[in-house]
Amino acid sequence: MKFKLNQLSWALGLSLLLFSCNDAGSERPLGEYETGILIMNEGAFGSNDGEVYHLDPISGTLKPNIFEAANNRPFAGLLEDMVLEEDRLFLVANTGKIEIVNAGDFKSLGAVSSDLDQPRSLAVVGSKLFISDYGPYDDNYNTPDSYVAVVDGLNGGPIKKKIEVSNKPEDLFVSGKYVFVAGSEEGKVEIIDAEKETIFKTLEVSGSPKQFFEVAGTLWLYSTGDGEVYFQSFRLDNLTKANLFTLPLSNATGRITFDKEGTIYILTSSGWPDYKDAVSKVSIVNSTFEPEWIKGSGFYGIAFDAKQDLLYVSNAKGFQGNGTVTVYRKNGQVESEITVGRGPSGFLVY
Amino acid sequence: MSVLLWIGMIFGFQPQSQNQDTVLLAPVEVYAPALDRFTQGQKIQSFSKTELNNYQGRSLGDLLQETSPIFIRQYGAGMLASPSFRGTSAGHTAIFWNGLPINSPSLGQSDLSILPIAGVDQVAIHFGNGGALFGNEAIGGSIHLNTKASFAKGFHGNFTQQIGSFGQFNSTLKAGFSTEKFSTETRIYRESAENDFTYKDLGQAGTPEVKAENSAFQQSGIVQDLAWNLNPTSQLKASLWYNEADREIQPVMGSNTNDTQKDESIRLAVDYFHFGKKSILNLKTGLIRDNQVFNQSINSTSQYFLSGDWDAALSSKWNLKTGIRLNFIQGELSTYQATDQRIETYQSLRFEPVEKVRLSLNLRQLAYLDQFEPFIPSLGVDWDFWKNTSNQLSLKASLAKGIKVPTLNDRFWEPGGNPDLLPERSKSGEIGLNWIKTGEFNLENSLTYYRMNVDNWIIWLPKGSFWSPENIREVQNQGLEYQGQVSKAAAAWNISANWSYTWSRAISTKGIGENDPSIGRQLPYTPEHQANGRITIGKNDFSAFLGTFFVGQRRVTTDGQRVMPTYQLFNLGFSYPKLNWGSLNLPISFQINNLFNTDYQVLYLRAMPGRSYHFTISIQL
Repeated sequence: MKFKLNQLSWALGLSLLLFSCNDAGSERPLGEYETGILIMNEGAFGSNDGEVYHLDPISGTLKPNIFEAANNRPFAGLLEDMVLEEDRLFLVANTGKIEIVNAGDFKSLGAVSSDLDQPRSLAVVGSKLFISDYGPYDDNYNTPDSYVAVVDGLNGGPIKKKIEVSNKPEDLFVSGKYVFVAGSEEGKVEIIDAEKETIFKTLEVSGSPKQFFEVAGTLWLYSTGDGEVYFQSFRLDNLTKANLFTLPLSNATGRITFDKEGTIYILTSSGWPDYKDAVSKVSIVNSTFEPEWIKGSGFYGIAFDAKQDLLYVSNAKGFQGNGTVTVYRKNGQVESEITVGRGPSGFLVY
Repeated sequence: MSVLLWIGMIFGFQPQSQNQDTVLLAPVEVYAPALDRFTQGQKIQSFSKTELNNYQGRSLGDLLQETSPIFIRQYGAGMLASPSFRGTSAGHTAIFWNGLPINSPSLGQSDLSILPIAGVDQVAIHFGNGGALFGNEAIGGSIHLNTKASFAKGFHGNFTQQIGSFGQFNSTLKAGFSTEKFSTETRIYRESAENDFTYKDLGQAGTPEVKAENSAFQQSGIVQDLAWNLNPTSQLKASLWYNEADREIQPVMGSNTNDTQKDESIRLAVDYFHFGKKSILNLKTGLIRDNQVFNQSINSTSQYFLSGDWDAALSSKWNLKTGIRLNFIQGELSTYQATDQRIETYQSLRFEPVEKVRLSLNLRQLAYLDQFEPFIPSLGVDWDFWKNTSNQLSLKASLAKGIKVPTLNDRFWEPGGNPDLLPERSKSGEIGLNWIKTGEFNLENSLTYYRMNVDNWIIWLPKGSFWSPENIREVQNQGLEYQGQVSKAAAAWNISANWSYTWSRAISTKGIGENDPSIGRQLPYTPEHQANGRITIGKNDFSAFLGTFFVGQRRVTTDGQRVMPTYQLFNLGFSYPKLNWGSLNLPISFQINNLFNTDYQVLYLRAMPGRSYHFTISIQL
């Protein structure tokens, strides 16, 4: 399918991509787990068996349960997100805690373990942690008391403050002293002033905000909607909305990744009754759009490894046991398949 | 002549040492159909009154885990406990109370933690497929709970108080009155525990010792039994059991949930027996209501039963039982409403061609909604092939089918319920050898090998944003069950011991697609090895026991990358029933559970209590 994108300015930016910032590199030697790919295994509900696996994409060596191996105790949570900040890795468990480990060897540095409900993601501003949290369920399984929790101290500790936000906050993004919050249920982006720890501004956006990403100095928000997905950019100087691009794509999930040539990969899932999942591929440079580039069932996470030029798609395999990760070449051919932990939902690609 | 002597004459009960509690009837009794009349070739384990006494204040789950080959998946102290019998799932064990199936029709299983031993008088287990004899869900086996009042005993009553570690406080008041014609017995119980035991919290940095939170348990109930001998040939009896459990749900380590659950059950069974010259007619009606409130979500089900059967001695060699059961089910669940109705007819035939051989053939037909299962059979034989003055060797063999009708949740849950599900079906065969030795000491050994397959096994799979059940899995089970017991009485001393070992293999042969990693592997949370043993020593009236049970490794998931370690726990108890104060008799006992304070988890990250002490005193009135 061919499609037209009239304004390709944002797309050109995509080709520059994010990886440059990671590659800038610091002087310190990298630890064992600061290269390759971390595979986030969410775990199964009620079992708290989330864990992280490490994959060396060159040798193919897979190390399971690296949190437990480094700390002699299980992770004991459902792993929702992994956030890297300098040499710290924040492991966000939606069962109510954040484990903070040394990114190099996964040794525990601390935790935020009390007064959280269902944390989703985390951002660091200076020495403060901002944690998006759905808050507790009410009697009808709604979450009217969602918040962003503030913790003083990079190694965790008690919650200092809870800033009330719109329902079901997901991803966070830091720009200067501002924290952008993707308010997934009410279509809002709240901007928190990290110094005052209050909401500075709220922007209404299209669809259900899922994930922020930065391309060439521009902040983008990926949101899902009914039959379409949205890419909303923001001006960081005056904190306003800039451009909105819409793509006709049904059943999109919040899982998205990019390669170096400006290709976007989005996981879709048809749900009931056909349960058809797919990887949708949108090439901005060629203006091609393949909604069902790779078809399957059980797709759960996606990431692109720019160094190896390979696409990783994880499959939860029904959460009955371990999931798998299928590695694809850019032409869609399967490079390899590996068995990982339970409910693999995401990756951190170094 | 009293009613029960009649029955003894008609059916020619032969007291057998291994089955005394279910078979041997005192002269004046409330009638209960014996479990083992048509179970030739299969195995029954009954618990004696003494054994049940040792479990006063505890649950059916504890009793079964510690003294039977059943594995209990326990989510914490007093928390959900579901059985896995011969490697099957929790929904493959049928549970009966005074002849009524009490598994929840929406969940298809029971929580053994809220079936307190204090509420029943008899517990027996039937091993293996009992689809023909007992109907729906008796695949791994079935558990039979009964209450038992008696006639012509005058007034009796007792009060029992138990105090134990972690804030345990259990009280039971039991009072009964009976004449030759009429019998009533009432018991009221209340059991509670703070459950604030300490455990090593693996979910926190530094794995500190913490006290369990949000794990308090409380349940209370009333049991009322009534029976009338209307005339020398007919008896009417009624039993009522109301149980209410109020629990905080102990979170899995690493979570800090504050869930609560309240379970309320009313069970009522009314039986009419007519004792003919060579037959017994039984008409039965019953009602079971379950109401569960998990946080704010309410799930209620009601079941109504009407059944009748006729059990006759056709000749000295032939016995026949035939009957029908109607069951109407109403469900008011948090996401849907549904009704179901079931009609079952069944026929059992027992034949004793010669003295040492007993054969039985059982058949059942089951219709539910628009489905009809016409042929659920079982066939079994017992053969006492060698016998001398002090030894008897018997061979048991049987073939059987079992069935599980998809539960209401499986079919109607919104969203995801699948109304097109087929019943789960099972076929099995078993063969066993029994050796009974009597004399200076009594010894009994039995060894059973079984093979079983369960097809159309229902599993729930994620389908986009919700889960839906499908008939996917096929499982092959096989196992060995060895049980032994010995007892010896010498002068003032009484020594007895029993032990058992179970090997159970339950392997998926069909799963989600051909590459399902579970294929060829043991099912999760199904130990291959289990064992238990108990030695009891009594002198005069004082007695002491030491019991132990061992549970082998369990895989946490179908592909088994994480394995839970084995554990073995010991319990120690002392009792002295003859303590007197004036004219009052005050039996006392003291028990230590988890004697060596072993740190263990049955299920991954579910904390379990360490050593606990329990003191019990009764007042006999």
